[in-house]
Amino acid sequence: MVDEAREGLEGELLVPIERDPDVVTARQKGREMAVEAGLSGSDLTLIATAISEVARNILVYAGHGEIILRQLERNGRRGVCVIARDEGPGIQDIPLAMQDGYSTGRSLGLGLPGAKRLMDDFEIVSEVGKGVTVTMMKWRR
Amino acid sequence: MADDYARAERHLRDVAEYDVERRRRYVDLQPIDIAQIGELREAILNHLDAHVEAFFGYLAQYPEASGLFSRRNLLEDARRLKREHLIAMVGGEYGRPYVEQRVALGALYSKVRLDIRLFLGAFQALSRSIVNQIMALSPGDGPKGFQRSESLMKIVFFDIGIIMDVLIADREQTITLQQEAIRELSTPTLQVRDRLLIMPIIGVLDTHRARQLTEGLLNAIRANRAKVVVMDVTGVATVDSKVANHLLQTIAAAGLMGAEVIVTGLSAEVAQSLVTLGVDLTKLNAVGDLQGGLEEAERLLGYEVVKTRVQVARRPLD
Amino acid sequence: MVVPILKQSDVLIASIQAALTDADLLQLRDDLLAKVGQYRSRGVVIDVTALDVMDSFATRTLRSIAEAARLRGARTVIVGIQPEVAITMVQLGLVLGAVSTALDLEEGLELLGALNRKDAPGG
Ligand SMILES: Nc1ncnc2c1ncn2[C@@H]1O[C@H](COP(=O)(O)OP(=O)(O)O)[C@@H](O)[C@H]1O
Ligand SMILES: [Mg+2]
Repeated sequence: MVDEAREGLEGELLVPIERDPDVVTARQKGREMAVEAGLSGSDLTLIATAISEVARNILVYAGHGEIILRQLERNGRRGVCVIARDEGPGIQDIPLAMQDGYSTGRSLGLGLPGAKRLMDDFEIVSEVGKGVTVTMMKWRR
Repeated sequence: MADDYARAERHLRDVAEYDVERRRRYVDLQPIDIAQIGELREAILNHLDAHVEAFFGYLAQYPEASGLFSRRNLLEDARRLKREHLIAMVGGEYGRPYVEQRVALGALYSKVRLDIRLFLGAFQALSRSIVNQIMALSPGDGPKGFQRSESLMKIVFFDIGIIMDVLIADREQTITLQQEAIRELSTPTLQVRDRLLIMPIIGVLDTHRARQLTEGLLNAIRANRAKVVVMDVTGVATVDSKVANHLLQTIAAAGLMGAEVIVTGLSAEVAQSLVTLGVDLTKLNAVGDLQGGLEEAERLLGYEVVKTRVQVARRPLD
Repeated sequence: MVVPILKQSDVLIASIQAALTDADLLQLRDDLLAKVGQYRSRGVVIDVTALDVMDSFATRTLRSIAEAARLRGARTVIVGIQPEVAITMVQLGLVLGAVSTALDLEEGLELLGALNRKDAPGG
């Protein structure tokens, strides 16, 4: 899936996540790109919300990182790909982090599992000490 | 006619110059063909009426083509366009203007719902009429007549390709429109009175429809400023766990918007699948039948003192 | 982006005008709680019509506002959650807890009145 995401060419956008307002910028850009890719209605809100979650995780747990937005096309179907990448401490136990309610930040613990539910494809890879990469996609219905 | 042009215009957006070029390539139209057709021009123009008649005479035999014959001005338009068509057919220019003419005629056929198979039959009758004439032009020289006919046939297939595209595109559009209409019909919301909506759900609820139902319901709540929705599922025989979950999510989302959903008419089977989902059903406000549901809704909306107490009891979303 | 807070008799009305950062949301929480004490308000309406997303942070913050306001004697009603936002919240797994919701400002004020009448002695 990550390979496929890399192939998406049409438009690519990198949003650095360094400060609080960058989270808002990332989700707004994500929404715009989704519109360009032909998505509409509540899908736009789903994408923006998922971006908001992973972008905040970058700020809170890694300090800084980036969100990459891409348009996709597979078998004539269009979509968007969101990659959230940081070089922070990483996640030791991914299945645990993916559980509803699990949080080391004393927050709701719904960001990762919630984003997975909102998107069509979701993948998270991490190496402790090297950071986290979340790749997620949403396809036009 | 204005209507036909509107249709034609829709299709024309897709007729780019390269497309015309590609179409010519597909039928292998060569300069030699155009030269051969040029030799036929005069003879064919002299027999224009007979050829036009071959086309319409064929169609007139079939009651299925009555859509064309029952409307006098349409028929006149069609005859005129067909004459123009034949003139252009031997005119030697097969660029965009030629294609545009074909598209306009195709749009007219589509409007009278001309059966594609009938159209092909009529077109074949027309070609036969022309080929017969071409063969008669060079008596004793069969190969020459054959070659000329072959050149003209390329134009015939060039034309058929265009008309087919128009008829198919129109049919696809009709199907899309019908599907949308059916979809809307399948999850209607009815306003019974101020702030109260009924949403009767009939038939099979699959994931796709469940999603439409969600959007339809939530938008209706906003549009009608609804406070209570009675969702009647009497007409739903079964739901799978995915759809059941979706229904519960919809009810929760309505709650976030400030509206309460009362579910009525749950069959034993559907109730069973809800229970086996293992989700929290304490928030599900279910009433046996539609009548009871409406009474409950009236109560929720009704008399101020009653309303206050009931709302306080139900509002919390936890 | 500062969220304007309006005082209307014993109710505070906060109308969010645009997308908010996490810091903006925390600011809103602090402002509202300070004003509840200052005016001894009995109710708070937060209008989220213009909010682009309600993610886990926004939800948690609104919930904490409602809980803290309640400890200081004011009920909170969230109004204006849009259809797309509502369905997203549910799918994300968010619940507003004991926080009340209403369709719009008008409804929210009416609901607050009802809630407070119920709280009132003998009500
Ligand atoms: N980018 C990241 N770097 C390091 N740890 C992360 C990252 N994202 C998430 N985590 C870990 O996964 C947990 C769950 O994340 P999430 O589901 O977003 O819930 P929350 O942020 O509320 O804790 C976090 O508490 C944190 O321990
Ligand atoms: Mg998080």
